[in-house]
Order: sequence, then structure tokens, then C-alpha cells
Amino acid sequence: MKFINLLKKELSELITAQMIVSFVAIMAMFMILGNVMSTTIEEATKQEYTIAISDRDETEFTQSLIKQMEDNGAKITKFSSEGDDYAAILKSNNSENLVIIPEGFTSDIENGTQPKLVTVSRMASTAMLSNLSNDTAGAAGFIENCISSTIAAQLGLSEEDIALMEDPVAVVDNTVVDDKSAQISSDSIMQRVMIQNEILPIIVFVLIMLTSQTLISAISNEKIDKTLETLLSAPVSRLSIISSKMLAAAIIALLNAAVFMIGFSTTISGATDKVTEQVAAEGNVISQYMTVESAMAKLGLTLSISDYILVGLQLFFTIMICLSLSIILGSLVNDTKSSQTVIMPLMMMAMIPYFISMFADVNSLPTVVKMLVYVIPFTHTFSAMSNLMFGHTTIFFAGLAYQIVFFAVCLFLALRLFNSDKILTISLNFGQKSKYKKKHSTSAEE
Amino acid sequence: MEKVLEVKGLSKQYSKVLAADNVSFDISAGEIFALIGPNGAGKTTTIRMISTLLKPTSGDVIVAGHSIKSAPEKVRGSITYLPDEAGAYKNMTGEKYLRFMAGLFTVDPRAIDQMVARAKEINGLGDRLGDKIGSYSRGMIRKLLLSRAVMTKPRLAILDEPTSGLDVLNAIEIRRTIKKLAAEEGMSFLLSSHNMLEIEFVSDRVGIIAKGHLMVTGTTAELKERYNAANLEEVFERVVNDHEIH
Repeated sequence: MKFINLLKKELSELITAQMIVSFVAIMAMFMILGNVMSTTIEEATKQEYTIAISDRDETEFTQSLIKQMEDNGAKITKFSSEGDDYAAILKSNNSENLVIIPEGFTSDIENGTQPKLVTVSRMASTAMLSNLSNDTAGAAGFIENCISSTIAAQLGLSEEDIALMEDPVAVVDNTVVDDKSAQISSDSIMQRVMIQNEILPIIVFVLIMLTSQTLISAISNEKIDKTLETLLSAPVSRLSIISSKMLAAAIIALLNAAVFMIGFSTTISGATDKVTEQVAAEGNVISQYMTVESAMAKLGLTLSISDYILVGLQLFFTIMICLSLSIILGSLVNDTKSSQTVIMPLMMMAMIPYFISMFADVNSLPTVVKMLVYVIPFTHTFSAMSNLMFGHTTIFFAGLAYQIVFFAVCLFLALRLFNSDKILTISLNFGQKSKYKKKHSTSAEE
Repeated sequence: MEKVLEVKGLSKQYSKVLAADNVSFDISAGEIFALIGPNGAGKTTTIRMISTLLKPTSGDVIVAGHSIKSAPEKVRGSITYLPDEAGAYKNMTGEKYLRFMAGLFTVDPRAIDQMVARAKEINGLGDRLGDKIGSYSRGMIRKLLLSRAVMTKPRLAILDEPTSGLDVLNAIEIRRTIKKLAAEEGMSFLLSSHNMLEIEFVSDRVGIIAKGHLMVTGTTAELKERYNAANLEEVFERVVNDHEIH
């Protein structure tokens, strides 16, 4: 079949050594990233339980305090220190954080004065994970607890009284979605959904950019090399030419998406598994409430298989819109320079909803802005998961219908373009009217 | 003699420019016809209309009995077109390119093999056909494309500036191939060129075109005699002067 012949040619044009190298590079990048994240978190988690303490008071009370901490599983390294040049102290002890119990600590407690506790942390950068290990608040909190128990015991209070003082109110968090409610804090759900919802927009964004770039350069190269004229004068239908190009670009785009999806999910799971393990180790919050999964199921926030099929369908139409628009944009190109410019409209159409979906809910925007953002067909893809999750099915299906119509119009225009003179005569005209017209009339005369 | 191409009152109007104005001529089987004229005369527009790439504003073209207006797909089956300064897919090998192009004309694998074998014989590129086109010189690409244009044995091969940008030896080789195919196989050619001396050597008949008008057609000898000129360049100068459209 002539179509297969065309498709094979398009694929062989697109699958080049550079593309395979970039695939391998992307996978390697994600693997390294996943590894870095999981080891950083692992390191951080480990270090959090290692506390460097300098006991300058050295009384029976402070020693028993340190012993209690050790009994509770904290790994303590003791060292002596002098003066208040904390940077030098950190450096000489080769540590990232330390707690100093100053002289007179015990006597202050005995005299009823508020004792001082000094904590020192090194800040190497503002990166989130790099500072995980610097938190000495845990150690200070523990010492505080020990001291308040001691003081309470001195005052003759019972353990129940202490527990009540420490936690005077038991907050029961409830989250409501539509008419369903579950006993869980909305923060826990947000954390879980955020990780899940970050994957789709990134994949959609990468897909749109790669697909359009691939097809625009495929068409513009054919125009610049004049191979398009040869192809169009051959006994093969214009529809076959367009559809073989679209299908080849779609196959490449899906391959890219798969690589990104696998890579990204390994990275994210590398990080989240460690965090989850850590939370489970600290293990108190979750067991008090429901697990996040069961709460989300109760609130109807999980996606069923049919929901995933719908998201997949929308992704398909997103790619198709992207491909048909790329055909039109690629046809405008007459030189290599303009092939980089024509991708701009598609880039904006992908970037606007991508950023908005990262920071805000489109549905909560003012009506006029919302309408404007929804005119961009890709917005519906970015908000698809959230719309399905929160039961905004009308908006979802309206978006899907809009995308189908948008695609049909774009494909119709692309086909008309390929069936008309315009495919060879059309070109970009960025405010250089006189120059363009001059050039155009010369080429027309030929 | 059987007419392979009949161009009837062909015009093309762009927004402000009349690129081709009522152009009419015909080509018989086995004939080499050349459209000559300066850059911007309307050669490429006329050729693109005959190749079904552009739609005429008025007039029609009949190729091997098919109209470009009512049956463009049938016309495409009877012609091949080699654009001016055309390239080929740089990542493909020469052989793969020939095979791909043959596959657009037929789905029969045996016919494809025959076409490719014929192209190989004509272009004489030998082992280099196994290399990527990106590594070819300009002359090699032109030979490859010419062999592609004639391997399907079209009724009419349309070649826009077939030797432009080539050195003398490559140009001579291509001209020889065209003459041989017309004489031995009865293939018809429509060429365009602004190199009038070259055309004098290769073509049976010429048409002189300027500013969209086809001013005169005839054999080189006829035209030289009619305008009392030593060569086609002089003929062209006198034709343009006579029509007062400088």
C-alpha cells in the first residue's frame, strides 16, 4: 500500500540516531534524578536521628536527659566545646548541626528561671531536600518535653495531667467533597494529589512540544528542500501524505511520552516511597485517622478505569489538534529561521494552561478569564484529571466535545491547505509587508 | 503525431500579478520542448500548473488525455516533476530514496525492482547508492533525481532548470541522458531554463516566455531563420523588442 510506503519513509526520517540518543539521555537523567532524590532523602532521614550534643553543664540532670534521649532511639554524639564561635565549633566537630546545653542549665531549672538551650544548624543552600538534615528542632523539642515532665513531676502533676497540658484539644480533621465527607485533613489529600497531578501536565506539555516540533520541522524541511513539490506531483492522495506525516509524528510523540512517563514515575516514586517510609516510621498521624487512600476513595476522589480511558481519549485528541495545527504552521515556513518562529503559538497554547494548572484551579478564575483560558483547547487536557476527580463531568465532556470540534476544523483547514495552491505560495509575514510583497510577486512571476 | 501535452489558454493570476497570461502550446510523443525566458518570466508558474501543483485561474491542460482540472490524480500518474534546485531526503540512502519514490507509482514489488534497476542504470552512481544522500555532491543529487524522474517511464517528464548549478561535465551528461531517452524510448520532456544556449543543444522545439506571455514557439532553426539571429539569445532579444515589453 502506498500509505505504508509513505509512513515508513516518515518514520525513517524521524527515527534518527540523535533521537535514540536523546531517549537514552532522558532515561538516564530520570534514573539519576530518582537516585539522587531517594539517597538525599534517605541521608536526611538518617541524619535527623543523629544529634550532636555539647553538654557544658555536666550535671546529673543533663546526663540523665541525654540518656533518656538515647533510650528513645536517638543517636547522640557527645563532644565538648567552648565559646560562641559556632561556625568553628561545627567545623572542628565536622557536623551539620548541634545542640549546646549551656552552663547553669540545671540550676536555672531548680531556681525556677527559664533555662536556655542553644541550637546550631548549617545552611548550605535553600534547596528543600538539602536542609532536611539540618533540623535540630526535633532534638530541642524532645529536651523541652523532658524538662516539662521533670518540672511537672516536681510540681506533683500526674501523667494524664501532663498529656492534657501538652495536647489540650484533640482536633478531628474532616474533609468534604460535594456531599461526601471523610475524617482526614485536606492537607494530606493535597499532598497525595499534588504528586499524582504533577505527572500528567508535564507529560501533556512535553507531548505537545515534541509533537509539534517534530511535525513542523518534517513539513518545513520538505518545503525548503522542495521534496514536497515532488511528493505532491506524485500519484498519491493528499490525505495519505498528511495522514502518514501525522501518524508518524504521533507514534514518535507516544514513544516520547512513554519514556517520560516511565522516567518521571520512577523519579517520583523514588522520592515518595522514602517520604512515606519516613512518615510511617514517625507513624502517628495516619493511624489516628483513615489512610489517605481509603479517605480519597470515600470522598470519590479516585479515578476509575473509565475515567482513565476518558483522560486517554482527551490526550489523543490533544495530540491530534497539535498535529493538525503543526501541519498548518509548518506550511507557513519558507526557511529554517521561520521554522523556529512558527512554533510560538503552539508553545503559548501549551504554556498558559500548564502554568495556570500549576498554581490555580481554572474553574475558580473570574468568568471572563476562565472563558478565555478555556478557548485554548489544551486547557481542557490540563484540567481533565481534576475535573473528573471532583465530579465536574459537564465541564469535562464540554471540553472533550470542544476539542473534537477544534480538531475537525483544524484537520479540514490543513487538508484544504494541502489541496490548494497555498501550500506552495503561503509564507510568514511579520510586519515586513513591503519586503514580503516584493518577494512574493517575484516568486509568483517565475 | 500523438499529443502528450496540450496547454490551452493557461492563465494564473496572483493577488496583483498575472504570472501566466493565456499560455498555449503542445508537446508530441518523444519530443523535447523547452520553455525559455529570464528569471521571473512565468516558467515555474506554468510548469507548476501543468504538474497539478497550482490551479489555473483560467484555461486547461490535457496530459495523456487527462485534464489537470477534472482528473489531476490521473495526470500525476502520467507525469514526473523535477523542481528547480530540489533536494532529496538526506537521511535516506540513494537506493532507499528510489525505492520509496517508485512505491508511490506502483504497489507491485516486481515493478518497483524494475524501476530501481532502471534508475541505477541511468544515474551510474553504482555503489554510492548505498550511501546516505546527505553525503552526495550537487551533481550526484541531480543525477539521482533525474533518474528518479524517468525511472517510471512517464509519458511526460517535467524538468525545471535541470542543469542549474552544475558543472559543465555533469550538465553535458544530463543533457545526453534526456536526448537519449527521448530518441530511444519516445519519452516526452518539458524543460525550463534561462540558459538559452543549453536549450539550443537539447530541445526539439522552444517557447519563449517573458512577463507571463508565451511570445513565440518553434524549432531553434525556424526561430533563428525567422528572426535572422545567430543563436537563441539573439532570438530572445529580438522577440522581446518586437513585443515592446522590456
